Amino acid sequence: MARCGGDVSRHRKADLETVESLCQGLLDDVMLDDDKCRAMFGYLQEWPDLASMCHSASLLGEPPLAPEASNGSGSSGGGGGFRKRRPDSCLEAKGKSNSVCKRPRGKQQPCDPDQMAAVVGKGKTERARAGAKKKAELALPKDSPATSESTVTAGQKTDYIHVRARRGQATDSHSLAERVRRERISERMRYLQELVPGCNKVTGKAGMLDEIINYVQSLQKQVEFLSMKIAASNPVVNFNIVEDLFSRQLSQAACNPAALAAMAPPIGQAEPSCLQMSPLQQMQTPAGCPGFGLEMIVNNNLFSLAHGGSMSAAAAASVPAGASVESCLNVHGAAGWDIGSQSLFSGFDAPFQSVQSDSLLDNLKMEM
Amino acid sequence: MSSRRSSRGSISDEEINELISKLQSLLPNSRRRGSSQASTTKLLKETCNYIKSLHREVDDLSDRLSDLMSTMDHNSPGAEIVRSILRS
Repeated sequence: MARCGGDVSRHRKADLETVESLCQGLLDDVMLDDDKCRAMFGYLQEWPDLASMCHSASLLGEPPLAPEASNGSGSSGGGGGFRKRRPDSCLEAKGKSNSVCKRPRGKQQPCDPDQMAAVVGKGKTERARAGAKKKAELALPKDSPATSESTVTAGQKTDYIHVRARRGQATDSHSLAERVRRERISERMRYLQELVPGCNKVTGKAGMLDEIINYVQSLQKQVEFLSMKIAASNPVVNFNIVEDLFSRQLSQAACNPAALAAMAPPIGQAEPSCLQMSPLQQMQTPAGCPGFGLEMIVNNNLFSLAHGGSMSAAAAASVPAGASVESCLNVHGAAGWDIGSQSLFSGFDAPFQSVQSDSLLDNLKMEM
Repeated sequence: MSSRRSSRGSISDEEINELISKLQSLLPNSRRRGSSQASTTKLLKETCNYIKSLHREVDDLSDRLSDLMSTMDHNSPGAEIVRSILRS
């Protein structure tokens, strides 16, 4: 390194061309990976100190590290115009190397567009320059003393970077901002692609979005279903979940007229807890337990009775669902029980445990 | 030719916008915030987070369910009900 630095300093002008061509060749040929870039940056960040010690050329050795070479070329080429500040030239090289790194890799790295916007934006407007300053600071947080100066180099930097940046790409600030935005979006999309199974096969943003939407919906349903199961298996603890779930179920089941007819009396007269109760049982009915249907009717009757509903309403509710007159009568016999409904339905697993209607009635009697 | 391309592009843009708003309606955050057009980047980020949280929730619920099933007495009426629900 000292050797090379010496070389460059001694034959600065003579070697300028060769070093530059060498670094260009390296940059064009070699795909720089992240680690290398980072190493380069870290190395370059120490440049100001070293520069104050050894002046510009001492750092410039190690031909394999291309950006250093480019740094050397930049600062030594500064014999032309870039000569004013050493640390600046370092940062300039940093910016350069960054934008150069970006090229061969395509737009893989999220920081690249930023950097690029920073680099090219500086040449455009004062405002863009301020933004670029911010971006540069963000990109290089460690380099606090030098960043303030980095913006000063902007004007100098532009000449070179400008040329590099516009290979078939628009460089006005709008295009740049748009490009940055698109980068971010596609980055997110890639991330989502990893997250959503089966998204790899789909090509195109629309298909992917479709897939993502479906996946999110299916996940939501899954969560609902699972919490419903848990709520049902542990009813007292998860009463709130049950309520939430079955209020949704209720709205979905509203299109079923038979269920509606069976549910009508409690809806008309009872308070929300009763409203929740009915769809729950209605949920149970298709599960293949005939006892539940009967039980539902009984409960409905109880509700209407407990809330002062007429006996005729209770009978009307029970008849279409095919409940036996006997159970109706039994319930009627329990009609004197008007406060117990609260305890029954706050208990909530009482109806669950009584699969048969007569066991329910036993329960009722017990509670009476 | 350029006009045709642009028209085709705008159609797919419309489709994508539609899908994006559909996706937005699925997210709980955006619904609450009620902002009509958040940035797409933010939306996608939120979607990522939401999917992750849903994954977590599903895992958690599955764990709880399996715990419940394992701790539950096989003859208890609760187990009966859970089994009947699982069958359905």
